[in-house]
Amino acid sequence: MELLLNAKTLADRLRSAFLVDDRWKLYFEGLKNTLEMSLFAVLIGVVLGFLIATVVYTHKKTGRLKILSAICHVYTTVIRGTPVVLQLFIMYFIILATVKNGIVVGSVTFGLNSAAYVAEVARAGLESVDPGQMEAGRSLGLSYTKTMVKIILPQAFRNIIPALFNEFIALVKETSVAGYVGIVDLGKIPGLIQSRTFDYLFPLLFASALYLIVVCILTLIERFIEKQLSKSDRGNATKFIKGGRKKCKKSKTA
Amino acid sequence: MQEKQDGLEELLPQEAQEEVPASAGTQFEGGMSEEQPVEETASETAFSEEETIPEAPMPEKQPLIRVEGLKKSFGDLEVLKDISVEICEGEKVVIIGPSGSGKSTFLRCLNLLEIPTEGAIYFEGAELTHASDLDSHRRKMGMVFQHFNLFPHLTVLKNITLAPVSARLHDRRKNKLKITRKQIVEEEKARAMKLLARIGLEEKATAYPATLSGGQKQRIAIVRSLAMNPKVLLFDEPTSALDPEMVGEVLALMKELADEGMTMIVVTHEMRFAREVSTRVLFMDEGRIAVDGTPEEVFGDPKDERLKSFLSKVL
Repeated sequence: MELLLNAKTLADRLRSAFLVDDRWKLYFEGLKNTLEMSLFAVLIGVVLGFLIATVVYTHKKTGRLKILSAICHVYTTVIRGTPVVLQLFIMYFIILATVKNGIVVGSVTFGLNSAAYVAEVARAGLESVDPGQMEAGRSLGLSYTKTMVKIILPQAFRNIIPALFNEFIALVKETSVAGYVGIVDLGKIPGLIQSRTFDYLFPLLFASALYLIVVCILTLIERFIEKQLSKSDRGNATKFIKGGRKKCKKSKTA
Repeated sequence: MQEKQDGLEELLPQEAQEEVPASAGTQFEGGMSEEQPVEETASETAFSEEETIPEAPMPEKQPLIRVEGLKKSFGDLEVLKDISVEICEGEKVVIIGPSGSGKSTFLRCLNLLEIPTEGAIYFEGAELTHASDLDSHRRKMGMVFQHFNLFPHLTVLKNITLAPVSARLHDRRKNKLKITRKQIVEEEKARAMKLLARIGLEEKATAYPATLSGGQKQRIAIVRSLAMNPKVLLFDEPTSALDPEMVGEVLALMKELADEGMTMIVVTHEMRFAREVSTRVLFMDEGRIAVDGTPEEVFGDPKDERLKSFLSKVL
């Protein structure tokens, strides 16, 4: 404790953690890798996840796509049933052993992993949409696919935004296991610096703070999207519309 | 009234471009197609409830909808037991019956929202249960639901234009029409606004369904079906989910459509509507059509015992 409070030592430790050899750059390089992996993984996860959910949902509602649905079921079971670190090893050392770029391997692994979780979230979202919506779409002559894309999926997406962002946030932090196969992500940096300075304190604090900031930004994005999509909510809807409720009441009596 | 009809007249030229034959529009117009006068008189006599035998409403032509030996089971439960019926253009058919008698299931079978277990359904001569282009047939059969089923994430205007725009884009792709997407969207928007003006809700065009009353929602749902220029409108208990004071506005719109000659099949518990607007009443009981007659026959002089006991409970 005395050491910690000693101003001179503190300054030294700060300097060795950030300034010596331009070490601060390392954190941001790690952050860049983490963000790259997370971004691609989220994209893969959402696209593949919604695809899986749609297949499973379609099979449940119409009985079609039986084989595909069975495959999806096995996929989610296996992915959710095994640790992501082992999945990373399997990818890095076996399936994608020829790929030299660790970031690519990481993106694919975390994306495929995330897809299984997103699929379950998205399925819940699809099932939360009133079946009358599908009937209304079909009775207007829209095809099943068109009704899905234009009517069911947008409503499902809206309903699951909180759960979806939960998954994204978990994913960003989960990418820190990439260090196990030598990918230099943000989680790996404190260890690298400590191996030179024998001091963990500031590297750990700073790396954690960076993760925290990323997650806070994600939360802000979530709030923004929620607000945009809440336009159609009762009570909110009038706020966004010129004239609002008063004007419409008048027209009714006229 | 005259003004409204003028507005609708302008819609006609567009219809010619679509696959919907112009007759769908003339029917909408009221009093333009040949069989119209017959229909008008038929509904007028029915409406005024003046004694005597009503004129036979059926013109001698191919029926619009023909149902043959329709059966539907949910698991072990047989809901529809061998239904055969023909419905002609311009008829306003009301289906009544105790709950669980299969009225809604029958209606939903007509546009294949429920797949029949057995039997055939012909619409404009085409068999639907094995049709590969079911969607194009469905475009000509509007459906109005008990719970409106407006799309909550879309504005009123988008609710109305979504299907017609999509249908016309599909048509454009198929026939390689030279019309831009923007043109189609603008035309359909203009048509939707006219339809909204007709029900006095054009100011709600940019509103979301959640801000509307039940009556407004249902009238917009009806207009949404009309936007496809359907040959027939199917109503599945359109007023059952409404507050009592909103039932009137929806029934008034339905009556207006009926007077214009729209073919309608209505499942309802509104006996007054059935009596005043319909040209034909089907009484369903235990999965069969027990009575098929004019409103005078059904309400004035019921012979069937089950019909009698049903009417004594609801009237």
